[in-house]
Amino acid sequence: MKTHFWNRAALAVLGLSLCLIGSAEAASVIGQPSAWEINLQQPVTEVAQFIYDMHNWLVVIITLISLFVLGLIVWVVMRFNEKANPVPSRTTHHTGLEIAWTVIPILILVGIAIPSFRLLKLQVQIPAHDIVVKVIGKQWYWTYEYPADQGGGFGFDSIMLSDAEAAKAGQPRMLAVDNEMVVPAGKVIAMQVVGADVIHSFSVPSLGFRMDAIPGRLNETWFKTDREGIYYGMCSRLCGQNHAYMPIAIRVVSPEKYTAWLAEAKKKFASNDDTMKVAANAAAQ
Amino acid sequence: MYLVFALFAGLIGGALSIAMRLELQEPGLQFFTNPQTYNVFVTGHGLIMVFFVVMPALIGGYGNWFVPIMIGAPDMAFPRMNNISFWLLPSAFALLVISMFVEGAPGSNGFGGGWTVYPPLSTSGHPGPALDFGILSLHIAGASSILGAINFITTILNMRAPGMTLHKMPLFAWSMLVTAFLLLLSLPVLAGAITMLLTDRNFGTTFFDPAGGGDPVLYQHLFWFFGHPEVYIMILPAFGIVSHIVSTFAKKPVFGYLGMAYAMVAIGAVGFVVWAHHMYTAGLSLNTQRYFVFATMVIAVPTGVKIFSWIATMWGGSMRFTSPMIWALGFIFLFTVGGVTGVVLANAGIDRNLHNTYYVVAHFHYVLSLGAVFAIFAAWYYWFPKMSGYLIPEWIGKLHFWIAFIGANVLFFPMHFTGLSGMPRHYVDYPDAFAGWNRISSYGSYIFALGLLVFFYGLWLAFAQKKKAGDNPWGAGATTLEWTLSSPPPYHQFETLPRITGSEH
Amino acid sequence: MAQAHTKNHDYHIVDPSPWPFVGSISAFIMAVGAIMWMKGMAMAGLKAGPFLFGAGLIGVLYTMMSWWTDVVHEAEKGDHTRVVQLSHRYGMIMFIASEVMFFVAWFWAYFDASLFAGEAKQFMRLEFTGGHWPPKGIEVFDPWHLPLLNTLILLTSGTTVTWAHHALLHNDRQGLKWGLILTVLLGALFTVVQIFEYTHAAFGFKGNIYGATFFMATGFHGFHVFVGTVFLIVCLIRASAGQFTPKQHLGFEFAAWYWHFVDVVWLFLFLAIYLWGSDWGRAAEKILV
Ligand code: HEA
Ligand code: HEA
Ligand code: CUA
Ligand SMILES: [Cu+2]
Repeated sequence: MKTHFWNRAALAVLGLSLCLIGSAEAASVIGQPSAWEINLQQPVTEVAQFIYDMHNWLVVIITLISLFVLGLIVWVVMRFNEKANPVPSRTTHHTGLEIAWTVIPILILVGIAIPSFRLLKLQVQIPAHDIVVKVIGKQWYWTYEYPADQGGGFGFDSIMLSDAEAAKAGQPRMLAVDNEMVVPAGKVIAMQVVGADVIHSFSVPSLGFRMDAIPGRLNETWFKTDREGIYYGMCSRLCGQNHAYMPIAIRVVSPEKYTAWLAEAKKKFASNDDTMKVAANAAAQ
Repeated sequence: MYLVFALFAGLIGGALSIAMRLELQEPGLQFFTNPQTYNVFVTGHGLIMVFFVVMPALIGGYGNWFVPIMIGAPDMAFPRMNNISFWLLPSAFALLVISMFVEGAPGSNGFGGGWTVYPPLSTSGHPGPALDFGILSLHIAGASSILGAINFITTILNMRAPGMTLHKMPLFAWSMLVTAFLLLLSLPVLAGAITMLLTDRNFGTTFFDPAGGGDPVLYQHLFWFFGHPEVYIMILPAFGIVSHIVSTFAKKPVFGYLGMAYAMVAIGAVGFVVWAHHMYTAGLSLNTQRYFVFATMVIAVPTGVKIFSWIATMWGGSMRFTSPMIWALGFIFLFTVGGVTGVVLANAGIDRNLHNTYYVVAHFHYVLSLGAVFAIFAAWYYWFPKMSGYLIPEWIGKLHFWIAFIGANVLFFPMHFTGLSGMPRHYVDYPDAFAGWNRISSYGSYIFALGLLVFFYGLWLAFAQKKKAGDNPWGAGATTLEWTLSSPPPYHQFETLPRITGSEH
Repeated sequence: MAQAHTKNHDYHIVDPSPWPFVGSISAFIMAVGAIMWMKGMAMAGLKAGPFLFGAGLIGVLYTMMSWWTDVVHEAEKGDHTRVVQLSHRYGMIMFIASEVMFFVAWFWAYFDASLFAGEAKQFMRLEFTGGHWPPKGIEVFDPWHLPLLNTLILLTSGTTVTWAHHALLHNDRQGLKWGLILTVLLGALFTVVQIFEYTHAAFGFKGNIYGATFFMATGFHGFHVFVGTVFLIVCLIRASAGQFTPKQHLGFEFAAWYWHFVDVVWLFLFLAIYLWGSDWGRAAEKILV
């Protein structure tokens, strides 16, 4: 009767892991979470794709390990209970086995580490970039600054839309913002992330980065995607009362549209210039 | 006493978590009009569970009771110091509770910066006195644990019964020895770190303030240098307990005893050099991240040795499925699940997308709430007859197990999904897409909590029925010294020291 | 209690004691008082912080005094058999180990700031320090002046305490007494010099990382010197009362261990903060690197 349960549990886990692997194609929305999703968000950059693929691979490994342990438990429960095996053996050593369960995990871990290190390098070493955006985390919104030498010279705040506004704009609740960060497709975007007051964390899952915005520390990360669209993320470091209410929205547009947006934004946010100075100077160091 | 205290604190910590789950059951704000209050609840929950439930139960409770017995000593080396270790806890707990009712962030009560207490949110972000209460609470709790650790090390090194060499010592005593060293060497660093917080907050120092040349990330290093050993502090005693239960009910000696003991030593040692895997997104250099990925994954190896040795202990055994045994079996499987997601997180590249999401919450509840707490209950059903002299009906333990097993999995398994799909931690409210799995999680938490009713009913039954346990209710497999004494054991267990001759562990 | 039975082992079964409970309550009161003091909070209109803190502190000190008095009496009664003494040694070693880790935290903070004073990505720190250590605008102490004097004082006190120990082992009461008196005097002298140095610091405690790490690290060390001195004074009193025997004098040994520990910490402080962290250190670095 107990074995019955274990069997069923095993089936359930197996089914689940198959779902996980299979769901690669299933997700419908891109750039934001979707209901009942059980895997990472759809990747749209090389880094995110790497994370996604490697994670799928890890899911298989860890599921197999868990199932293996579960299987062994089920087996000993069935085979070595009081009824099936009234007289316990006294074995307490088996050198071969002990070596095996030390060496095999090491091999598995080495197998994990190799791609893991490649991924890490891809993330941390920032390639030659086309555009730099300064990202400043504040309680409780984000400020984006576009340097003047790249046609920018302005900065603006990005604040969450209220539920009603988001509904009106046809965007998801708690993710939509008034001014998105806009960048061109197909270009390497480097971001310099700092915190203004406390630590925040700048993160967009589908673009594959997460970087803490720490006061006094200039952290850099990057992404590049060919796919136009809008990608949402959320502040990922507890930063006080409205930590849940400072989403990130990045709109990736064609280079032409980007040029147009730059011109327009310059006018629109020109008045912001003064207030931005201080932060910009700080971030420019 | 420790156990009663832990039980009481567990109820409060559990109640806070249920309030959190009630809030998270639906998107939007349900109960918390001020989101900050939710943060305060999360922080309180984390701190209480870690410092006032798991540590007092496993270390203070079971450790103090059974380590001296198992090594054949009449008491701990410093009984009076043990006593102050205990009495400091209610003081510390009281300070923590007060902290929740005095001003923290401007305009709200309590400290809401998470159990890790990162600055600057914990310095400039919370000017009110709430966190000062929290910090001093941790100082006192820490002092209590350091004294406890000194006591354990001394007891174990100096008071083993004649003939009991270290290599014959029961694994629970081994686990407590390693745990005590971790406490002794990691807690003072936390004490230093939170003292710096205190002076930054109140005396104008700038340890963590970059404007004065300080560094917020320094705090993270100091905290996690303590924090990571801390998680092993919470699980090693559980390993020890599970070893005994498995061996008792398989009616076999522990498989690979020495390997088991040294695996714990290895976990403890390596546990000191992996701390920055909690800081992959803080902007560490490539090589630093590489090192910490590597070091972190190493820990999976000795942990694997333990898992497989438990299974090998049962292999060829003649297992009896008493309630402690099924809790221990549940532990082995669920801890493995929590452990392997830890290995996923160890990869900095992957952690990039999972850090501070519910995937992490799922990971650590599998190792804590389904690991450490399952071991607490396993030990409860295993040793309760010894401690009280009365029996808890077997069906209580089993019913409680199945409710807890189902509830906890329903509660925490979906958190992997919400985490993967991007839901951050410490969110009082979330985008609607996360609603489905969150609702399931919340239902699971109610089931888990329901199990506690069964637990308390069992407690009541035991004392109402007063069914005598006898010296050894578990039969031939129970070979450690505690089963040679009466239940409950006399006040100073061994008037004459037992002499250890055989090679049994 | 336990006396009702016969005890067939050498361990010490202590009698129940009120001090743990009293100590814990005192610690609680002290903590509450400290917070109310720091935050200027009032209870029923009264700024009770300092008084509560003081009351708690007195309670804690009283607890320690009574507790250790009890221990001394137990030792006199002969409760401290060989094995119990060994336990006490283990205990003291472990306590010192935990103290070492406490200082690790302060050294960690110091090295984080001094080794990475010029890290480019920490732009605010860079601005503050000017990219080097000691930070720009900070006038540090000349290591070969008072700090060297204090080093010599502490090192000498380490030898005098050892002298006292040898005297004790040879049952030379006078030597023990004078050794201790000298050590205490040197300890006190160290503290006086340290206070003098503090009052002449060209940098503040607040608002700068140099002052923070300097004062907290040397300050905690100074506090340990103070505690160690008190410990030695207690030993002196006990020695005068003829309490130590060449065979059993754990109280003295622990004071000596503690004193040596304080000594070693100072050497590290001197080398890392005063010497390497001064212009001398930078000059040496230029030559070596
Ligand atoms: C009891 C507590 C406990 C335990 C035992 C562990 C065990 C482990 N933990 Fe966990 N962890 C926590 C409690 C714990 N953790 C907590 C509380 C946090 C969050 C803190 C916070 O931010 O608030 C956390 C967070 C955390 C992070 C940071 C995540 C983030 O914030 O982004 C990481 C990353 O590396 C990690 C890794 C690991 C690893 C590798 C182990 C390993 O020790 C696991 C080893 C076990 C196994 C691997 C299973 C058994 C082995 C086998 C069956 C052999 C075969 C296996 C393989 C070959 C893989 N943990
Ligand atoms: C041991 C540790 C422990 C335990 C047992 C639990 C148990 C539970 N936890 Fe907790 N949790 C943490 C440690 C723990 N947690 C930590 C460290 C954090 C991070 C905090 C932070 O970020 O600051 C956290 C965060 C956390 C979150 C994330 C909040 C957020 O980020 O927004 C959530 C959300 O659902 C949650 C829920 C729960 C629930 C529903 C339970 C239920 O399982 C609780 C049900 C309660 C019980 C079943 C009582 C158990 C009783 C005992 C343990 C006593 C037994 C004693 C004896 C027998 C002597 N926890
Ligand atoms: Cu900003 Cu969280
Ligand atoms: Cu860790």
